Amino acid sequence: MSEKFGVKVEDIFNTMEERFRPEGAEGVDASFGYDISGRGRWKLTVKDGSMKIEQTDDLGGCAAVIQADADTFVGVNIGKVDGTAAFTSGKLSVDGDVGAFGTTAKLFKRFTPPKKELTVGEYVLDMFGTLEARFQTGAAEGLDITIGYDIGGEEGGQWTARIKDGKCTVTEELVPSPSLTMIMKAKDWVELMLGKVDAVNLLTTGRAKVEGDMNLATKLGELFAKYTAPGEEEEEEQELLVLKKIISVNQKFATGPVMGKYLNGLKEKKILANKCRECGRMQVPPREVCALCRIRCDEFVEVGPKGNVRLLDTAYYASPDPLTGETRETPYGLIYILLDGCSGQEVFAHFLRDDQLDRIEMGWNEKKGTIVRPVWAEERTGKVADIKYFEIDE
Amino acid sequence: MKEGFDTTDCFLVDGKLALPYTYFAGRVGSKFLTTIRDEKKIMGIKCNKCNKVFVPPRQTCDVCMEDIRDNWVDVQNTGKVTNFTVVRYDDKHLPKKAPYVLAMIQLDGADTPLVHVVEGIDLDKAKIGMKVQAVFAKETTNTILDIDHFAPA
Repeated sequence: MSEKFGVKVEDIFNTMEERFRPEGAEGVDASFGYDISGRGRWKLTVKDGSMKIEQTDDLGGCAAVIQADADTFVGVNIGKVDGTAAFTSGKLSVDGDVGAFGTTAKLFKRFTPPKKELTVGEYVLDMFGTLEARFQTGAAEGLDITIGYDIGGEEGGQWTARIKDGKCTVTEELVPSPSLTMIMKAKDWVELMLGKVDAVNLLTTGRAKVEGDMNLATKLGELFAKYTAPGEEEEEEQELLVLKKIISVNQKFATGPVMGKYLNGLKEKKILANKCRECGRMQVPPREVCALCRIRCDEFVEVGPKGNVRLLDTAYYASPDPLTGETRETPYGLIYILLDGCSGQEVFAHFLRDDQLDRIEMGWNEKKGTIVRPVWAEERTGKVADIKYFEIDE
Repeated sequence: MKEGFDTTDCFLVDGKLALPYTYFAGRVGSKFLTTIRDEKKIMGIKCNKCNKVFVPPRQTCDVCMEDIRDNWVDVQNTGKVTNFTVVRYDDKHLPKKAPYVLAMIQLDGADTPLVHVVEGIDLDKAKIGMKVQAVFAKETTNTILDIDHFAPA
């Protein structure tokens, strides 16, 4: 016969050997007895980092004997019943050295029920078996109600949950005229609890009926925590750590002679390009060599400051600025400007004034785009931001 | 520097990089840290194939490529320094005020070293092989600094 939680008492004992942790048994040299009412007695002997479990009525010589009913014993072992609470309420008692018994907690890995698809009947038993444990005291303040469950079909049954004084008691019967009664077949009940079908669907198709206080029916979700099938809850319980930080790194960039000359030009409101001696191409901002001819470029030419927009990129995702660490607001416009004195693809990239995003016309071939001019920063120190942005020249 | 190289226009630009960053410790890392935080206990993961015990723990054995995520074992709070350096500069991201000893500590029961700070010792007295013991933090932060530092054992 299966227990309340779908796990047999025998399962707990039969898996002890494989769950045994020798490192937890260090220094333990004792016997422990288990007296499970109606199921039998077991004796566990631990010595020299190894163990032996046997079913025997002779519990002589045990340092401690635990007494519990099958449901409590299984519940504690699979983590569905709090061991301390069971101990203080008397559902579980220890005869002998309680302290010695405490060491048994370290002896075994927790029992995890084998993952298998339960039958409808097993699900129904487990769902009602865990109903009390899933009760949410906080949501039941001031309530004095009974909820009847009339679950039809061969694998069904009848249950009543009585909620009073912030406590929930489940009995396997249907009391007369509950505050709310839910009537449906076992298969539909299981699908509902597993979230495979929603309540409205069941009600409108006539597969489920609710009698009594309908308002109460809408509150059931708050009164009971969501059902999780055996073996599935452990992973969800784990606390997962996430750390959110803003990493700030101070850095220095060396300009080099060419970029330095360009940045120093900005101080005097000059935009400098350099011209390749071989192909005549302009590069702005200037680079040490012509990327096409691969020769050093040392002829500097002032270009702009006005130009026409060839391309507008609207950015909806901003990365932090490596110079300031700030992330600008989006959307913003990044424009590629053909400054006066440049031709072809010799464009220069900069920001567009925020409120002019929808007023830009892009140029192509001989057609000129919107003419823009730079807006200079009051205080210029030789950095890219010495030009704050470009705006329409009007 | 090349002769005749004109450095008139060379200068330095100060920058400050700020990176919003989300670090997820993962299931294995989270359990490692919450156990330190809640139970003041250091755990590792053992590879059942090569018997290596990893601290800090990892999900896969780097030699056997076995999935070892469930093989948690307890290790001691004591261990020995397998290597160390002295950090002599201060920066925001560093865990302690300089100068301090940053050491690789192989805990008793573990086969891999854990990087942490050793305090309570003169800088010139730190040496490879010295025995140290974990000192847990009073205020926890959900980081490896829930072990505040290691002290000479």
